[in-house]
Amino acid sequence: MYKVGIDLGSSYTKGVLVDSSNQIIDYHLVKTGFDFNRSSKRIIDKFSENFKIDLPIYTCGYGREKLEVESVSNSEIMALAEAVYHLYNKKCSVIDIGGQDTKYIKINEIGKVDKFRMNRKCAAGTGSFLEEIAFRLDVSATEFNSFAEQATETIKINSFCTVFAVSEIVGMIKNGLTMPNIVLGIYNSILDRSFELANIDDSLILTGGIPDYHPIILKLIQKKIPNAVSPEKSQFMAAYGSVLLNTKRVN
Amino acid sequence: MAEIVKLQSVSHLRKTMDDYFVRLKDATETGSKKIAWCTSVGPAELLYSMGFEVYFPENHGAMLGAAKVADNYIPIAVAQGYSPDICSYLTSDVGAFLANETPLQKSGLASVPKPDVLVYNTNQCGEVQDWFEYYAKHFDVPIFGIITPLKINELTETIISGVAKQIEELVPELEKISGIKFDLDKFKETTRLSHDGCVLWRQVLETAQNLPAPINFFDSAIHMGPIVVMRGTKYAVDYYKILLAELEDRIKNNIAAVPTEQIRIYWDGMPLWYKLSSMAKLFSGLDTCVVASTYCNSWVFDDLDPENPFYSAGLAYCKLFIVRSDEEKQKVLEKLMDDFSIDGIIYHDSKTCARNSNNRFGLPVRLQESTNIPYLEINGDLNDSRCFSEEQSIIAIETFIDQLKSRKQ
Ligand code: SF4
Repeated sequence: MYKVGIDLGSSYTKGVLVDSSNQIIDYHLVKTGFDFNRSSKRIIDKFSENFKIDLPIYTCGYGREKLEVESVSNSEIMALAEAVYHLYNKKCSVIDIGGQDTKYIKINEIGKVDKFRMNRKCAAGTGSFLEEIAFRLDVSATEFNSFAEQATETIKINSFCTVFAVSEIVGMIKNGLTMPNIVLGIYNSILDRSFELANIDDSLILTGGIPDYHPIILKLIQKKIPNAVSPEKSQFMAAYGSVLLNTKRVN
Repeated sequence: MAEIVKLQSVSHLRKTMDDYFVRLKDATETGSKKIAWCTSVGPAELLYSMGFEVYFPENHGAMLGAAKVADNYIPIAVAQGYSPDICSYLTSDVGAFLANETPLQKSGLASVPKPDVLVYNTNQCGEVQDWFEYYAKHFDVPIFGIITPLKINELTETIISGVAKQIEELVPELEKISGIKFDLDKFKETTRLSHDGCVLWRQVLETAQNLPAPINFFDSAIHMGPIVVMRGTKYAVDYYKILLAELEDRIKNNIAAVPTEQIRIYWDGMPLWYKLSSMAKLFSGLDTCVVASTYCNSWVFDDLDPENPFYSAGLAYCKLFIVRSDEEKQKVLEKLMDDFSIDGIIYHDSKTCARNSNNRFGLPVRLQESTNIPYLEINGDLNDSRCFSEEQSIIAIETFIDQLKSRKQ
């Protein structure tokens, strides 16, 4: 029998399939859209094609309370912390850059959450900031990442507001600044917002959708915190942690 | 399922507040008494002793917030040139005035009672000065201000007597307006009533030191009405005797505000007026009682002394939490954490009220270092619901309570 963890995020719904020894054996990602039930059903159906799934489903994220399928809901931050501690087994800080929020979590030696913080209520410093700018400039995530790889210097983007940031960038292009340097500035602006959440004084684990699609983010962070790492498929960590939290409870 | 145990005293509270509005209405209609507008921590005792009926625009602001109509009025004030970043009590109150609407219409008043004089104290903030000046100009009536220094660290003799003197200097001006000669004995009497009301109010709040607490912040925020608007009258004293008796009875019979209380929270900052009941349900559903708050627990002026009414008013209104330095605030908070057995602190950073958002100068980190009590900051506003991102805040609060519960395991 297999367990399923689902993280119902504002942009994407992430699912993991976990075997009885708590190993992830499959991942699935769908757009959340307007209906949490539909997006989670698509994940469950996908996994059910080849595996027999155990109920309840373990959920976290924005839409977790609204599911029709039998489920146990968890706090996303607790779930994320659980997965990170399971993988790294040490005191550490986590920065998670997701679709509409960026989170900082401090995990202590015994794997408990000592502290957490979320970005202020606007999208500055989150995935939406990046997505919106990429969309407005008509550039894909991969192109965005490779632009930044070519940068020769960074440019400071001042605006917190996504819409004004785009006007600022258009002005920069008009003034002859290059896309690679501008794009690096955009990434750095996201990092600045993340580092405002806390002064990190221990090892850093980077999670969320952004490091998965924009690996440059990890490289930039490592300039500041050399020991920073990001687990593979880092956007699935909270879904995985939802399963782990409950397995632990049962045991 | 979230369970909230209602206080029986609510009906007395309603009557006490209704009667207060009826007195304002009578004074307006008959002209039997002059009307003074006063800030919430202004010299209410002096005004009551000199025969005024006293009206508090901040209470009106809170009513607009709690009635969930502030958002209708804030844009009207903004269009009039007031920034959406300033006090949203001010903007909702001025906006409602411009729209000629008020929840007081339910109490039979056609509009807010027309002032004969406006008196403010800047101890709480500077916004009240601009707010009151708007009405002073509009109604063309006298306005007086007591200017209190801000962020007071050591409460010196110079500061106290300076403020006491400013209060005393109001007397001849107020005599001209009220037509009533100042009577020291009457002032001593309102000071005594104010003191007694404050002591009772403190005792009410202190019942929440009991485990489980018989009253929570969401009740207290409503039940503090009389101590704000009737401080210095017997009405407040009478009301808090009733409320205190009910709470003592609850303790005797082990009745809790949140029957499943596991976690005890301290709330710093303003209430989210437009979300009071949904917040109460949220916490209750999380087995959590918000047992104390800066907003309610700092409203105790028990230094008022009938034998020394001017001086003690200077002392009491400068000693107030909101007018103190962060260093002094930290001492007060440390004691409250202990007295109320607090598990965690939530700081509400209220977008439009800097003075009631105590998280802005590093206090949360310092307090956590000294007490080892975790904290959470949420962003919102007292009246402007557009500044509050509910879904995100609920997730943060739920996670915080999970964190606190796991610490206790
Ligand atoms: S203290 Fe805050 S809420 Fe009260 S009047 Fe001043 S700015 Fe407004």
